[in-house]
Amino acid sequence: MDGGTRSPQLCRLKAAVENAAPLLPIPGPITAFAFLNTLSALEDLPFAEGMARGAQAYGCQPWLAEDRYREYMTRGRIRTDDLVAMLREDLKTDASEPVVPFCTRFDLRLGMLTHPVQHGPIEDLRWFIAEMGGISWLQEESLPGSRASLLEQTRRWMIMSDLEDTAGEGRASSELAKQIRADVVSRFAAEALEYGSKPTPEWDALYARVLWRICFAGVQSINLVPPSTNRPLRLRDLLLETTGEDSDLLVHEMLIRYCAAFTDQGFAGWELPNKKQGFYKSFCRLYQRRGGPPHYWTAALANELTRLTKWRIDPLESIRESLTMLGYVEKEWAEVIQATLMALRGWAGMLWQMEVRPDRVPVPVAPGTLIEFVAVRLVLERIATGHLAKHSLDYTGHLNHLRGSLGAKVEAEPGNTAEQRAFAVFQLAQVLGWAPPALAKLTQREWASLIAEIELFSDVDRRRIMHAAFERRFQVQALDALSEFAERKTSRIPSPSFQAVFCIDAREESFRRHIEEVSPRVETFGAAGFFGVPMYYRGVSDANFTALCPIVVMPQHWVVEDVVYTLDEENRRRKKARWALGTASHQFHLRSRSIAGGAVLTAGLGVLASIPLIARVLFPRRTGRFRRIATRIVQAPSITRLRLRRTGATPGPENGNIGFTIEEMANLAERTLRDIGLTYGLSRLVLIIGHGSSSLNNPHKSVYDCGACTGSPGGPNARALAAMLNDQQVRLILARRGLEVPSDTLFLGGLHNTSEDAVTFFDLEHLSDSHIGDFEEARRVLDEACDRNAHERCRRFDSASLDLSFPAAHRHAEGRSCDLAQARPEFGNATNALCVVGRRQRTRGLYLDRRSFLMSYDPEKDDPQYTTLERILSAVVPVCQGINMQYLLSYMDSTGWGCGTKLPHNVTSLLGIMDGASSDLRAGLPWQGVEIHEPMRLLFVIETTPDGMRQIMSRNKVIGRILLNGWAHLAVLSPTSSEIQVFRDGEFHPYQASDARLSHAATSTQWYRGWRDHLEFAVIERGCAVIDVPQDKTEPCLTINS
Amino acid sequence: MFDNQLLIKVCGLAVVGAPFLLLCTLGVRTLIGRPLSERTITRSVHIAVLTGLVASLLVLAIMLSTGTRHVPIDLGSWVSIPHYHFAVKLIFDRLSVPFVILSFVLCGTISAFASRYLHRERGFNRFHVLYSFFVLGMVTASLAGTIETLFAGWELVGLSSALLVAFHLERAAPVRNGLRVWIVYRISDAALLIAAVVMHHLASEGDFDKLLMNGDWPDGQALLTESQALAVGLLLLIAAAGKSALVPFSGWLPRAMEGPTPSSAVFYGALSVHLGAFLLLRVGPLIDLSLTLQAIIVALGLLTMCYAALVGRVQTDIKTALSYASLTQVGIIVAEIGLGFRYIALIHILGNACLRTLQFVRAPSLLIDYHMLENAIGTRPAQAPVPWGQMIPKKTLMWLYQLGLERGYLDAWLDNGLAGPFVDAIQRCDKLERRWIHFICRRSSRDDPAVEPALMPMESL
Repeated sequence: MDGGTRSPQLCRLKAAVENAAPLLPIPGPITAFAFLNTLSALEDLPFAEGMARGAQAYGCQPWLAEDRYREYMTRGRIRTDDLVAMLREDLKTDASEPVVPFCTRFDLRLGMLTHPVQHGPIEDLRWFIAEMGGISWLQEESLPGSRASLLEQTRRWMIMSDLEDTAGEGRASSELAKQIRADVVSRFAAEALEYGSKPTPEWDALYARVLWRICFAGVQSINLVPPSTNRPLRLRDLLLETTGEDSDLLVHEMLIRYCAAFTDQGFAGWELPNKKQGFYKSFCRLYQRRGGPPHYWTAALANELTRLTKWRIDPLESIRESLTMLGYVEKEWAEVIQATLMALRGWAGMLWQMEVRPDRVPVPVAPGTLIEFVAVRLVLERIATGHLAKHSLDYTGHLNHLRGSLGAKVEAEPGNTAEQRAFAVFQLAQVLGWAPPALAKLTQREWASLIAEIELFSDVDRRRIMHAAFERRFQVQALDALSEFAERKTSRIPSPSFQAVFCIDAREESFRRHIEEVSPRVETFGAAGFFGVPMYYRGVSDANFTALCPIVVMPQHWVVEDVVYTLDEENRRRKKARWALGTASHQFHLRSRSIAGGAVLTAGLGVLASIPLIARVLFPRRTGRFRRIATRIVQAPSITRLRLRRTGATPGPENGNIGFTIEEMANLAERTLRDIGLTYGLSRLVLIIGHGSSSLNNPHKSVYDCGACTGSPGGPNARALAAMLNDQQVRLILARRGLEVPSDTLFLGGLHNTSEDAVTFFDLEHLSDSHIGDFEEARRVLDEACDRNAHERCRRFDSASLDLSFPAAHRHAEGRSCDLAQARPEFGNATNALCVVGRRQRTRGLYLDRRSFLMSYDPEKDDPQYTTLERILSAVVPVCQGINMQYLLSYMDSTGWGCGTKLPHNVTSLLGIMDGASSDLRAGLPWQGVEIHEPMRLLFVIETTPDGMRQIMSRNKVIGRILLNGWAHLAVLSPTSSEIQVFRDGEFHPYQASDARLSHAATSTQWYRGWRDHLEFAVIERGCAVIDVPQDKTEPCLTINS
Repeated sequence: MFDNQLLIKVCGLAVVGAPFLLLCTLGVRTLIGRPLSERTITRSVHIAVLTGLVASLLVLAIMLSTGTRHVPIDLGSWVSIPHYHFAVKLIFDRLSVPFVILSFVLCGTISAFASRYLHRERGFNRFHVLYSFFVLGMVTASLAGTIETLFAGWELVGLSSALLVAFHLERAAPVRNGLRVWIVYRISDAALLIAAVVMHHLASEGDFDKLLMNGDWPDGQALLTESQALAVGLLLLIAAAGKSALVPFSGWLPRAMEGPTPSSAVFYGALSVHLGAFLLLRVGPLIDLSLTLQAIIVALGLLTMCYAALVGRVQTDIKTALSYASLTQVGIIVAEIGLGFRYIALIHILGNACLRTLQFVRAPSLLIDYHMLENAIGTRPAQAPVPWGQMIPKKTLMWLYQLGLERGYLDAWLDNGLAGPFVDAIQRCDKLERRWIHFICRRSSRDDPAVEPALMPMESL
């Protein structure tokens, strides 16, 4: 198995598997959901191209359905000027090129975008025309503007054709006119054509008739080459197309079961035998025995596997063998391997993640497992296809000739028929107001070019433009709002009552806004939710370390939480109690599924299960509270401390190597403070608040936790940063580096529970008398803000009525988080669309509708190389864009990119979810989590200069490929003025704001109350009031009929 | 006494009437294309289930207070000819009352669960229509006083089950699996129907209380000879085996997990999987007649138990594991019935149903549960050792593991042994027919159209 001795062919095969692997879904184990762009392997391509390629590889929809976009158009969510702008940008100089003498390419495409051109199978069309009279009436919006004149022209052309000279250019046209006239006269009363007759409803029908005849005659004269058919690559696809038999059904049924058993993290009561020998060997050992599965199709399996074992054929060798046997030539191999992997991409992706990130699962798999997976899969494929070919085609020849003989049978897809083409022109002529006489004059070549042009602007292309227009509408609104708002003269809050640092998460936008509204003298900041402290963390009641940092970072430090020594005894006792309870409940779980234990439990105690069942389903909130109180007696004591100071030389998970050195702590602390621009004007109390989410019965819980902590709550990071900043030695070092932390400033860590909207604090026992007053004030503000935040969130929940009071809304939110039956404990980052990197005063008081990630950054404190900004963006861009793309894709095609509805989800192998008892692992987000989302690429608005961004994009590859290739939009907001420049086609263009002015509202509640859908931007007077407010005046709190 | 009789009759009617009205309300609105709103649907389901529950509790109270153990309610005769009559009749006794109360409690709880779990789902109305079919079916089957009435309820349960397995129509797998469930159910239905006919033929009676005379459930004496009992009993056993997923029909049980979690919970964890056992309980006195029948039932029960325990141990996903856990107990219950322990079997059914429903609705919590357990215990919870694992040779263990992983090959065996030959036979008939047609008509095949469809050129349409 030595790489050196392997033939170059096998090395190429190995590379083919490894090159295809990054295209597989990345989320990994669902317990720590990794928010990365599913298509990150394609980010080197421009966005639209990457989407097209991804959609092809995944077999998913790249955009929403055309109907959905049309719905947006009728609602005004997409406007015609958006379509015009995006179409011009797409066509560039080709826009004004005439397709036919009376219509440019731009007009034709715009017509096709704004008006649905019905298209269907020829049988449908025949039925539509014969039974519905589809060509005898005009569409509602047809013949814009000059209806009467068009009708008149047509009539004149028909009448005159009768007598016209039949020579020269007009000959064909008048020949046609005569024919049509004969037909029309036979159907309509001849008077309709007489000069001077009054317009009647019959005219419309007559007009339609004439138009249809002209279109039909026109397209019949041309002969376009039908589009070349894509012959399916995989033998399975060919077989499916020709016989209707799907070999993947057979292969998957066996392979899914085996993959689940192989990757199992300890759920099954009986482990897969010989699992240690790897995917391939273990499979061979298990299935090569006689007396295995009696399916007809697996009859040859045991012999084949015995042969592989006997001749010691290694996985790569076996892949080569299988590919050859299946009849693929070597230049197809890479593509075939990719398609083969994608056929069961969820499981393949999971194996790959377990292979390359063994730190993410308790039981990882050995390197090379994905190759073994491909080997096993191909063996099964050739046995299954062989069986099906024999069974359904009576094919007895060699399998490697099967592809050839099937390929010949695949019928070339017929191009559009004349009728279909004529019908398309017929519809377009109506909506674009093309005069029939003009159409009749078209030459054969012009007809051909018209048809080609119509067919070129395909369904996918139309949706792509519509999608761009859909995104543009929001961009215009957002940039208008930001540039208007930026006109205000603002500054940081002088001597704030306290400061609070939150995660950049879009959910914290509303929370921060409400805090600022409750108490305008509070200053808030946004930082990536791991607060610059990447670590493996083990809480006091945790068994294992968890990585708390973005997925792209590998932590180098370990931190544990200990109970303070005073409570050590108590802790031991409770730990023992927890152990006893845990063991008992584990035994209960196991025994209830066994024979004897199950019999005793079900027959003896089973009926009692109805009590918790009814209580938890019918009274979730009360039961939740009861459980919380009941479990309190065994929970670890709440007074704990973090072991942060390291004594050993190297960091590690063992005692002595836990934690950071003073120097390291100072570095981390300095970095975070400088990143968010909190280097001066520190208040007496600075809160650092991470976030997490609690919910029940939700395999996707980690989706709702902090994305910057790889789907775990970010509380420990906040707590660690606060503790570091409170350390006197750290402060000394910081002071030496010119970052003075006032001696009376206290940092305090906390955790915001985003589903039940509650904030808990850490290390309150360190609170000295001098700061208790400050803290109590802060807590009052946060509690009030929690109520309001819950209230704002409730407007999105259909089951919460719109007239709830603040406390009632808060109760509703709490109820959701402890309800077994609740599929939507919260909406996570759904609706995200914007990411603002800059000073809070540029957005403070602007209603952003929980749609914006907010990262604090002070451009005035950055150096000329934009080092700080680059550092910030290197985390913010991939994290936020990853979150955004997950939501975008999961919404675009919920069953394809996303994981569909939660209803049939089934947790398997403690790793992921399937639909029902046997399906591919589902990787994306559930529909219930994205249903209120608007699928748009993220718009980064960064407070810096175009030059700064150019430098960063060229220096930093990760940022560069995302922004340069358009996987997110970019605009820069000038640090000194309200000027915005938008990055498009590799250039920054000054943004011309429209004249729409922002609406004003006194409070957020006034603005959002009573409305469930997305809301426009607005100025919230109270949020930005602070600049005009005299500093000594204390603000009365606003209350709403609570 | 008369008042009590009247009250019981009213309550008894309410027990069946409430779900029937519910079905009519939801069904008619759906048929005329104007489904009710989510809120109204939820409320009507609650009202119907609550009414039914209260009424059945009242019946129980009256029966306890008056000491009646057997209350038949005659709803009239459907057909009555000299040698055959088909009565619609309900029986309240010590078997049906607990079972109907169980059905209402579980259906009510799960409908409350579903109203939130399925909130805003496109199939919300469809789910609830099918669910009301199921409730009506369960109640009818539990209270059935004649085998025909039981069959009606049995059919409703089967229909709604299969359609709910195929609830997610947008994917192929649910529909495929729903069809498979449906086919197994049809086999079981056919067996039940034949049993009914045979019973009428032998005893000219389909009413349980007349058929199983002399005493109320669980006592009674069947009016058949031993061999007759064996024949009818075997047919009923096939029916029960299909419905309760006993060997060899167990393959459909994991496939049924394609449906939404709430319906999986109440159908396959709890109620409908016990319906087969319920049927056997109902005809208990008949089973007593034949020792052979008893032995077969016990053997089948134990076989199912061993099978399900083995398969369940190997499964890696929670829903399949739970469904096999439930099946293990169903196997034991069937064995208990065979042995004549009817009360124990009844209590066992009630307990198994409640516990599995709870476990099923909590199934999505598995990851959180394991995380908590791991933290409490300090390490990853250990897997239970295979019983007698040391004593079994390694090769046999491997064979057993594979047997479990492949779910006992039951589906493959059914496909090979039953479905395959059946399809082959039909295809052979088809070929024969083609040959005859060719011989008679001189056309190459039956599918050739005699007349080409007239297609006018489009331009002249």
